[in-house]
Amino acid sequence: MKRRHLFAGVAGLAASTLLLAACGTGPTPAAAPTPTEDPSGSITFWSSLAGMDKVAEAFNASQDKIKVSFETIPNGANGGYAKLSTAITAGNGPDVATIEYPQLPQFVSNSQVVPLDGLINKAETVDKLTDETKALVQFGEKTYALPYDAAPMLMWYRQDMLAKAGVEIPKTWDEFEQAGKKLKAVAPDSYLASFNPNEVAASAGLAWQAGAKWFGTEGDSWKVGVNDEATQKVASYWQKLIDQKIVKVSQAYSDEWSLDLANSNVVGVLGANWSATGIQKRTEASGQKGQWIAAELPTWGNESGAFYGGSSFNVTKSSKNPAAAAKFVEFLTTSQEAIKARGNTGSAFLAFPGLTPVAQKAYDASYFGNDIYEVFNQAYGTITPGWQWGPNWDITNTALKDAYGKLTTGGTIHDAVDTAQDATVASLKQAGLSVKE
Amino acid sequence: MATQALTTTVRRQGRALAGTGGRTAALFLVPFFAVFAIAMIAPVIYSLVLSFHSQQKSGLGFGEAKTVFVGLENYVQVFQSETFVEGIARLGLYCLIYIPCMVGGAVVFALLLDATVAKARKLFQLLVFLPHAVPGVIAALIWAYLYTPGISPLVQALQGGGIQINFLDAHMVLPSIVNIGVWEWTGYNVIILFTALQAVPREILEAARVDGAGEIRAAISIKFPLILPALSVIMLFTIIGTLQLFTEPSIISKATASVTSTWVPNLWAYDAAFIRHNLNQAAAASIIIAGLAAVLSLAVTRLSSRMNKS
Repeated sequence: MKRRHLFAGVAGLAASTLLLAACGTGPTPAAAPTPTEDPSGSITFWSSLAGMDKVAEAFNASQDKIKVSFETIPNGANGGYAKLSTAITAGNGPDVATIEYPQLPQFVSNSQVVPLDGLINKAETVDKLTDETKALVQFGEKTYALPYDAAPMLMWYRQDMLAKAGVEIPKTWDEFEQAGKKLKAVAPDSYLASFNPNEVAASAGLAWQAGAKWFGTEGDSWKVGVNDEATQKVASYWQKLIDQKIVKVSQAYSDEWSLDLANSNVVGVLGANWSATGIQKRTEASGQKGQWIAAELPTWGNESGAFYGGSSFNVTKSSKNPAAAAKFVEFLTTSQEAIKARGNTGSAFLAFPGLTPVAQKAYDASYFGNDIYEVFNQAYGTITPGWQWGPNWDITNTALKDAYGKLTTGGTIHDAVDTAQDATVASLKQAGLSVKE
Repeated sequence: MATQALTTTVRRQGRALAGTGGRTAALFLVPFFAVFAIAMIAPVIYSLVLSFHSQQKSGLGFGEAKTVFVGLENYVQVFQSETFVEGIARLGLYCLIYIPCMVGGAVVFALLLDATVAKARKLFQLLVFLPHAVPGVIAALIWAYLYTPGISPLVQALQGGGIQINFLDAHMVLPSIVNIGVWEWTGYNVIILFTALQAVPREILEAARVDGAGEIRAAISIKFPLILPALSVIMLFTIIGTLQLFTEPSIISKATASVTSTWVPNLWAYDAAFIRHNLNQAAAASIIIAGLAAVLSLAVTRLSSRMNKS
């Protein structure tokens, strides 16, 4: 009997620690990045973005010095970053990785990506970017990534439903609320949009637009403001929308969410340029062609906007050939060939000047009822400056997502941002970082 | 005298067997212990070491992290985490609903199965076991579909009958997940209990019948006490399994915000390790879960050995 329960105990212990066994090996120092004039060799490239296999093929065809092998990995919500981060730490990560802007600082902070300075031709790449996009990839004077897309946050609406409610495209958040009420009057079961607890980056975008600064630095300290004044304003506003049933609380991309769009239960999507394919896929079969339009975000009075999503390409610490990797990153982010190769995979809006027209040409936007790229351009011009992502976005991401779980049992967005603020500050302090609230 | 001589020779033979068998047994056990050491013991020790250290940075955190010995600080932080403690409480509640439902169900099914005629027995055995043949992830995905309002034929049918129910709202989601577990595991445990029932000596049952016991009386007073050892094994596995609850909530969390990413302790540990990138806290949380499993299995084995004695 004794031995048996000893085994039982050990078995339980082992099973739950097995999870951790995968991430055992310590960091292997990568070769110091040495800029070579003409790099060559084989490199690997991981991405969850559709069509990137074709881009890698196009690069391989365009020259014969560097050979890229491509591997699809799951996206962030499905464990992509867990895989990437563990692989880099274990020393068997890819040479080139795809990292979204909110997650980039934590990869930088964990020294999992290498600075590109000295590896890339700055004049032909970074220097041509706008300040807003540069701010997403530069930390402490160093460039850690080249930005791929610059995704302006947008609202997508069903124009037929807006017309039915007798409203124009809302210009301000006030008008948005009025539009929601009018919609309720003509279609009591319909919602103007959904509020997605699993899309914390969308909450961040809304706060960003309103002038919030969730993260900032002050000397050698982080300043965390997940519940700052601007965020409080946004929180109260969206809480009001939820309470009035103008927006529906549902998980983005869930079956419920998809069905709500298909059967006109929800007639708007808070998204970005990249939302187009997702909307088309979910509503095409319900005969909604020509009804969906893109629109700039309603504002708080003066012109303002935010980025929502978007990815950068990086050279990881586990790369044995950073020079060749950087060459490929340049191709990915600045070459028209790369954009062309991707084909009709999505309504990309790119950070590097001159690329978006190529993407626009490749994308079939005939499903939509207005010139969506015109709207993207407009929205791109209004990004509120001064936003910065924090050193460990996923702490905030988890905390806010968890706190949103209480929305259906009497919790409010207000409580949620307060909880997220406390959790973020506590966790950063636990890691030894200096934090000012 | 004769019996005494017999026992001594048996004893002697036994000792001789043990002498040569020891080496052979060791030879056979080496592969097991080698794998056990690499795949079980080593990770446990590594996790223990991790759990007493912490990656510390300074200032803005850009730069190499230092590994520092922090003693029990990670454990303190885990217990201070509101979400972790909530997860433990939730798991307790889950056990309170799940274990009686599943084990009770398994006992009833096994006894019924034992009482049916031979032909139907095979068929029912298969039917009861069938859900367990569906892999856990797939089962969770299918149940998530069955629970989602608007798509689920189940919800629709209930609505047709005038019952408005949202299986995924914050109050219902726990019972909904219990239901997945019960559906998945009852059949498996029925088979274990049924096998134990097959081993019940028929003469005891016949004696009971002669004494006038009906099927129900025989089931309660004869069969049930005789399968108690099997039942305690089931309890042990169920408790360990329940503490590791992970798959179902992690799948359901994609469908509803009511299941958070730190909903149960194992999810908390996963999130700490792979999302928040704090391996040390994750290790501490895992050790806590494992410790809990060890304590609970100890309690169950103690309890059942006491019950077996009395």
